[in-house]
Amino acid sequence: MAPVLPLVLPLQPRIRLAQGLWLLSWLLALAGGLTLLCSGHLLVQLWHFGTFLAPSCRFPALPQVALAAGAVALGTGLGCAGASRASLDATRYPPWRGVLGPLLAAGTAGGGGLLVLALGLALGLPVSLDQGLEEGLGTALAHYKDTEVPGHCHAKRLMDELQLKHHCCGRHGYKDWFGVQWVSSRYLDPSDQDVVDRIQSNVEGLYLTDGVPFSCCNPHSPRPCLQSQLSDPYAHPLFDPRQPNLNLWAQGCHEVLLGHLQDLASTLGSMLAVTFLLQALVLIGLRYLQTALEGLGGVIDGEGETQGYLFPGGLKDMLKTAWLQGAVAHRPAPEEAPPEEAPPKEDLPEA
Amino acid sequence: MALLKVTFDQKKRVKLAQGLWLMNWVSVLAGIIIFSLGLFLKIELRKRSDMMDNSESHFVPNSLIGMGVLSCVFNSLAGKICYDSLDPAKYAKWKPWLKPYLAICVFFNIVLLLVALCCFLMRGSLESTLAYGLKNGMKYYRDTDTPGRCFMKKTIDMLQIEFKCCGNNGFRDWFEIQWISNRYLDFSSKEVKDRIKSNVDGRYLVDGVPFSCCNPSSPRPCIQYQLTNNSAHYSYDHQTEELNLWVRGCRAALLSYYSSLMNSMGVITLLVWLFEVSITIGLRYLHTALDSVPNPEEPECESEGWLLEKSVPETWKAFLESLKKLGKGNQVEAEGADAGQGAEAG
Repeated sequence: MAPVLPLVLPLQPRIRLAQGLWLLSWLLALAGGLTLLCSGHLLVQLWHFGTFLAPSCRFPALPQVALAAGAVALGTGLGCAGASRASLDATRYPPWRGVLGPLLAAGTAGGGGLLVLALGLALGLPVSLDQGLEEGLGTALAHYKDTEVPGHCHAKRLMDELQLKHHCCGRHGYKDWFGVQWVSSRYLDPSDQDVVDRIQSNVEGLYLTDGVPFSCCNPHSPRPCLQSQLSDPYAHPLFDPRQPNLNLWAQGCHEVLLGHLQDLASTLGSMLAVTFLLQALVLIGLRYLQTALEGLGGVIDGEGETQGYLFPGGLKDMLKTAWLQGAVAHRPAPEEAPPEEAPPKEDLPEA
Repeated sequence: MALLKVTFDQKKRVKLAQGLWLMNWVSVLAGIIIFSLGLFLKIELRKRSDMMDNSESHFVPNSLIGMGVLSCVFNSLAGKICYDSLDPAKYAKWKPWLKPYLAICVFFNIVLLLVALCCFLMRGSLESTLAYGLKNGMKYYRDTDTPGRCFMKKTIDMLQIEFKCCGNNGFRDWFEIQWISNRYLDFSSKEVKDRIKSNVDGRYLVDGVPFSCCNPSSPRPCIQYQLTNNSAHYSYDHQTEELNLWVRGCRAALLSYYSSLMNSMGVITLLVWLFEVSITIGLRYLHTALDSVPNPEEPECESEGWLLEKSVPETWKAFLESLKKLGKGNQVEAEGADAGQGAEAG
């Protein structure tokens, strides 16, 4: 059985490998820590904007998985740093011998799996963010007036604070406010003819106006904010509704929030890619170091040349050994074959 | 009789020197912190200097910056001295400078205490600067066409939104000034003409406020105009309505913000002052202990360290005597008068 990708490692290259591995492990720990911080920040931002994201949106899964992946990468980095430091010192290496195998397996399976999953999510989820924001902002706009309805009483304050802080108005523009009733019926005078006309003018009986809330106002505008009668050219002096409105914020909150969250997600994605690369390098290097030292029988300063390898035999041979061992263990109940090995290896027990 | 005498053996001296070296480097860090606090305060004051008519006093942040730099310099020098004091050869070259250096340290500590106290006392002058500056700022709210003042509207709006405040003392300050520019008034309207004629200066005064006074926590959409007219709005009573606009005045809001900043800076500076005083005392003990070593060839012997060689009143008398002697040396021609003075006081 030929080892996979063997590499001859005399003493000096072994020492170099261990030192380089130590450095890379600390870099991996740093990258893992930064990924943790980045995903924590994204989670906090998503919590802030919770009301504007539809509950069915799956986007929060990305920072949660990235958090786990970052934690595992941090742990792997610290563990590998300790292992490579110990491999340079003959007295400290023996306790690490037993730990290295499980550490490598956990790092590859757990860390690698999580990282791949997180990268996949980082590429695929931002599309669902668009949909979630569309729904969430629509609901927030519709519930702006419901300041006395339990469950929605904070919608007005949160929407106002969003528009003030992020300099946006409505979903895609200020005209979105013309299509919802944002004045609570509690403050509408039922005896006022104008109110009655407006309510009767549409099918759903909503009080629709061509006005916007105060939080849409742009302080950079030279004139005091015009919030009402925005479609009427004669209502205000020197005001033409057909010109772009400089009074109010021009951007819609959907674009602003989407850009903000997508920026954070892409930063997180690039951090995850870097962590993945570093983790792969560290785990491969540690595997070579481990197998080289096993070849010497665990004696660090051995002057002899040994071989480091990734797997002791070819992949097929490894699977065959695993299948045979599995078959021996399951002899009393031969119908319970390991499911993943069964289809290609049916003929092997006969052979 | 020496003040607070302590006996030092070789080990104790070495420990004192090492401890002082470490404390001095921690103190350099503290000096950097004070420097950055002063810088932060200076930047915060500059950010809102429009609200203070550009006449605010930068005494506190400037002195914090100066103290931070001086602390870094003095403490790194003291650290070097403490490091060298472990080696008699190196210490010998510092010996003549130590006494004046300690005097400078004492003076520096006194000034640091004064700066820390100033942090707490600046509130009064800041209050009057803010009141004056905000009043003027609000007057220029409408001058968005006048070069040099066109930014005032934006500044005041952002201030009211950020600090959750309205007007100088309250929202009624807006009723007394014209905050809508003439450019956007329709002079053919009867209502506008009535309002302009209703006061001596011909200003368009309304019982309304700018949009930035609105409180987002209010359950109803913001009412900005006709605030004192209950019948203009459905189910509205201006005397009981509290949530519609921000209730606090911007002067109180800004004052409380700057006060809390300066109070915390004052507390940190006081803590650093205490630390510096302990370093000066330690350095004095080290200086006297090393000086009073009877035989320099025998470093293992014990020596005594003290704060003052004689008790406080005796030291004060000796200090005055040395000042008089200095005066006598300088004024040769008035020797007779000086001798007369010496005879009277001695």
